[in-house]
Amino acid sequence: MSNFEDQLRAALQRQEPPRGFADRVLERTGRESADRLAPARRPRRMWAPVWGQLWWGPLWRIGAIAATLTVVSFSVTTYQHTREERAARQAELALRIAAEKLNLARDHVLRNLALPKDN
Amino acid sequence: MKRALLLLGMAVLAPVVPLSAQIQIGLDQLASKAKETVDITLDGAMLQMAGKFFSGGKSDDSKAKNLLANLKAISVKNFEFAQEGQYRQEDLDPIRAQLKAPGWSKILGDRSDKETSEIFTKSDGTRITGFAILAAEPKELTVVYIEGAIDLADLAQLGGRFGIPPGVVPDGKGKRNKDKTKGDQ
Repeated sequence: MSNFEDQLRAALQRQEPPRGFADRVLERTGRESADRLAPARRPRRMWAPVWGQLWWGPLWRIGAIAATLTVVSFSVTTYQHTREERAARQAELALRIAAEKLNLARDHVLRNLALPKDN
Repeated sequence: MKRALLLLGMAVLAPVVPLSAQIQIGLDQLASKAKETVDITLDGAMLQMAGKFFSGGKSDDSKAKNLLANLKAISVKNFEFAQEGQYRQEDLDPIRAQLKAPGWSKILGDRSDKETSEIFTKSDGTRITGFAILAAEPKELTVVYIEGAIDLADLAQLGGRFGIPPGVVPDGKGKRNKDKTKGDQ
């Protein structure tokens, strides 16, 4: 047998693991799984706790909701008022033209009736 | 098979045909020739909206509000031309044809060589439920169509409101602060 074959056999020979190897592997595997499953933590900024506290505080929340409602309500009211005003202006003009033409036709008829027949 | 085709045809045409037989004024081709155009179309919802705007505090506002409350639609087209001959009497014929429908009657027709005034009303037997005016002058053409219960005496009284005292515009030539308007649809 050559020296090479001896070396190969020695290298492939079954060896018992050192004591405690299995426990260490299991322990390490468990730790890595736990790290992988845990959510990634974002680095917290300095103001984050303060802002969070303020935002979620009842006063700010109520204030923000009230302000939003006020702005929305004002916008809706203004839009509605503008539409009503525009419709009123158009209705006003339409009725005015209708009335004017009605009176004009009536005046024509009255004028014709008032004309002497021999004229 | 024929029945199915008929139903299919009705389904296709249903959105095109208006449910109520409202008068279609048309005349859009005249807008390009006109110096000034007033084109107002207000449906029931818009009239209700307009009625809210009139406070009712003044007697005139109250009259206008009451008048609008019973109306379902108003359409007004008014064209003012720079010169004569920009429209033909025949342009009004499609409208006249619609006003021959059952329920409509011509209560006034005044024709001179250059001017024409025609008033049509629709009645349900007890009250006027529709009203139309065709007024053709040499340089002005006006078509008014009002759908809904209306008292013509109340309407005539409104001729003097909106800042114009009665009698200022008896011949239709008074100053009108006419907005160039395209009506909301």
